[in-house]
Amino acid sequence: MMRSLFLFDMTFWLYLAALALYVAYLFAKRPAMQLAPAGHPTDSIEDRDGAWATQLGQVATLVTVFGWVLNTLALTTRAFERMEHSGTFAPWSNQFEAMAYVSWAIILGYVLLEFRYRIKAVGAFVVGIGFIAMGAASLLPYRYQTAEPLVPALNSYWIYIHVSVTLTSYAAFAMAGGLGLMYLFKERAVNRGSQSRFYAAFPDLETIDELGYKAIMLGFPLLAFGIILGAMWANYAWGGYWSWDPKETWSLIVWLIYGAYIHARMTRGWEGHKAAIYAIFGFLMVVFCFWGVNFLLSGLHAYA
Amino acid sequence: MEFFASIKLAMFLFIALAMTATIGTVIQQGERPETYVQEYGEEAYRWFLRLGFIDVYHTWWFTSLLGLLCVNSLTCFHKRFPSVWRSMRQDKVSVSLAFIQGMKQQTTLSLTQTREAVAEHLVKLFGEKGYRVLTKSDPGEVTVYATKGIMGRVGAHVAHLSATVIVLGGLVGSYYGFQEFGVCLEGQTYHIPRGNFDLRVDKFWIDYHENGSVKSYNSTLTVIDQGTPTATKTITVNDPLVYKGIWFYQSSYGDAWDQIEAARINIKEKNSDKIVATVDLEWNKEKTVEGLPLKMKMTDFVADFAFNSTEKKVFSKTAEHANPAIRLTVDERSAVQSTPWVFYHYPDLFEIKDSAYQFEFIGYQPKKFTGLQIARNPGINMVWIGCTMLVVGMTLSSLIYHRRLWAKIVSGASGVTVHFGGTTHKSQIDFQKEFKKLTEKIQSQN
Repeated sequence: MMRSLFLFDMTFWLYLAALALYVAYLFAKRPAMQLAPAGHPTDSIEDRDGAWATQLGQVATLVTVFGWVLNTLALTTRAFERMEHSGTFAPWSNQFEAMAYVSWAIILGYVLLEFRYRIKAVGAFVVGIGFIAMGAASLLPYRYQTAEPLVPALNSYWIYIHVSVTLTSYAAFAMAGGLGLMYLFKERAVNRGSQSRFYAAFPDLETIDELGYKAIMLGFPLLAFGIILGAMWANYAWGGYWSWDPKETWSLIVWLIYGAYIHARMTRGWEGHKAAIYAIFGFLMVVFCFWGVNFLLSGLHAYA
Repeated sequence: MEFFASIKLAMFLFIALAMTATIGTVIQQGERPETYVQEYGEEAYRWFLRLGFIDVYHTWWFTSLLGLLCVNSLTCFHKRFPSVWRSMRQDKVSVSLAFIQGMKQQTTLSLTQTREAVAEHLVKLFGEKGYRVLTKSDPGEVTVYATKGIMGRVGAHVAHLSATVIVLGGLVGSYYGFQEFGVCLEGQTYHIPRGNFDLRVDKFWIDYHENGSVKSYNSTLTVIDQGTPTATKTITVNDPLVYKGIWFYQSSYGDAWDQIEAARINIKEKNSDKIVATVDLEWNKEKTVEGLPLKMKMTDFVADFAFNSTEKKVFSKTAEHANPAIRLTVDERSAVQSTPWVFYHYPDLFEIKDSAYQFEFIGYQPKKFTGLQIARNPGINMVWIGCTMLVVGMTLSSLIYHRRLWAKIVSGASGVTVHFGGTTHKSQIDFQKEFKKLTEKIQSQN
């Protein structure tokens, strides 16, 4: 029955391979790359090692894109399976599917970022998070991985939009978290005056910081929209748009945390180091909201 | 004023709200005192009461934080929006050279054309990029000013206003709205005083998937207004009935604890200890037992039998069917009349002295009740308006960023010098790219 599970599995291995390739790419890069003009880190420097690194980078991108295509196929297949068995096609109707969708969104975001800004080093972090999401999904017990029919409360067209929007915002925050981590790595190297080849391919601190900010600027309104869609759904299903259910409250907490971040960015001294740490902290809160609440706190969202 | 409009206060409020909201997710809200005492101890429970931890979201301090957030965003709007509004209408075109040179993105170019030609080109170039362009000619120099994306700033202010709209909507809802829970039996009609109409529950049933899991809970409801049925709808979990602003939600279901559909009784003859008849009794309907001199009726039911000895009353201890019992009215040969309680789990508990028979309660068909959530929220549209403002405002503010360009064209010895600078309040790397491209375009005109 579950043809999609095989595809999810393949996706997992491809993301693992992509992650390994991105890390290898970082190691292959020469420190000389730091001399490249700012903003154009990969332009036209084609020494021997550079060529090797470039090739590795290209393969990494290729594997990532291929993994993402398989991820898409897996979700589509799952959508059809759901159509057959549970009267909905939303392939994000349980924890497993939600995780697979989040990693899909993270990888999509990363690929777009790579094509737009031509920075590959980010892959070692962001593809890493996508891989972990996919891995965590496949670690779930089998009974969580199948396409069981939906409980009556979930059986609604709201599931298509509320869940996907919210999960997409999580993916944006994951991206910001990965960039924050990357910032701290790079910053440490800069402060130590490290000549390690590992950091050669990293974009400059300002760019990492700005990209992280952008990711949060994307996730923040998306999460608000997701929460509001949830409120509208609750108004149809639970008899009130807000009932302080733990999941609901935690998504609000996460939103407030990023709200503080957005406002902090307007004041001096909240870029760079502090922002990076904050983005990682925020992402951990997202993880708690997504996973922790389901397993540690009881509430109306207990099924998802 | 400064303080109330400050970003520092906003940050503090966001964090404070986030932290206090956490309390309510860790400590269960609105439980019975015993639950807290059992889990946290008596001393802790006293503190919870004092601090309001058992209903965090309605404490004075939590609501004041929300109130302060409104004050904060409103004062910010009041203080900052007028300047945004002004710059939408009229802009500062003329600026000093030092002003341009102090910008993060700035450059100086030398071109060989005339001032007018350069100015014309810049107006065209910026215009093509979607900028609104203004020029000002002064003796010896022309200033070209271009602006784009002011809506990004407007968006932020719309989002700020939305906080107050949402909170007000919530207040209206909690003062003028209500939320109740009704346990309704099939076939019964209930008066809804808040709407001044009646509601009849026609039917309740459950649909199942092939694998046995529940597909949907359904109740067919009919609204009876002024004595005439005006609306009928089958509601399910995600599909409520709305009538005169009152919403009826399918919320739960269960077996009634004070009534059943039917009961099955074995009648045993005491002498022979043999079952002589099995009868099915319907609720509150007298039945004559065939072949026996008996008339029987079932008048009461309790799901969990208990007896209040001071009031001498039978009642159901819980809603669980833990100890079901029915009360019969038995008429034997029109001579012996009795009203015994018979128990489902304890068939031999009571005996009617003068009767020749023993009654055993061996089975019953429970009566289903449907649990309806009944709610009206007059503040809800306001909340949705606020939500729309929030989403639209935030989206504008995060996708569009306000940028301004100034080019001061000054005549030099050969041709002109262009002092070109630009600012944005965010998206520095994108703006940097754009600025570079524009610079190249201006240069290539040469």
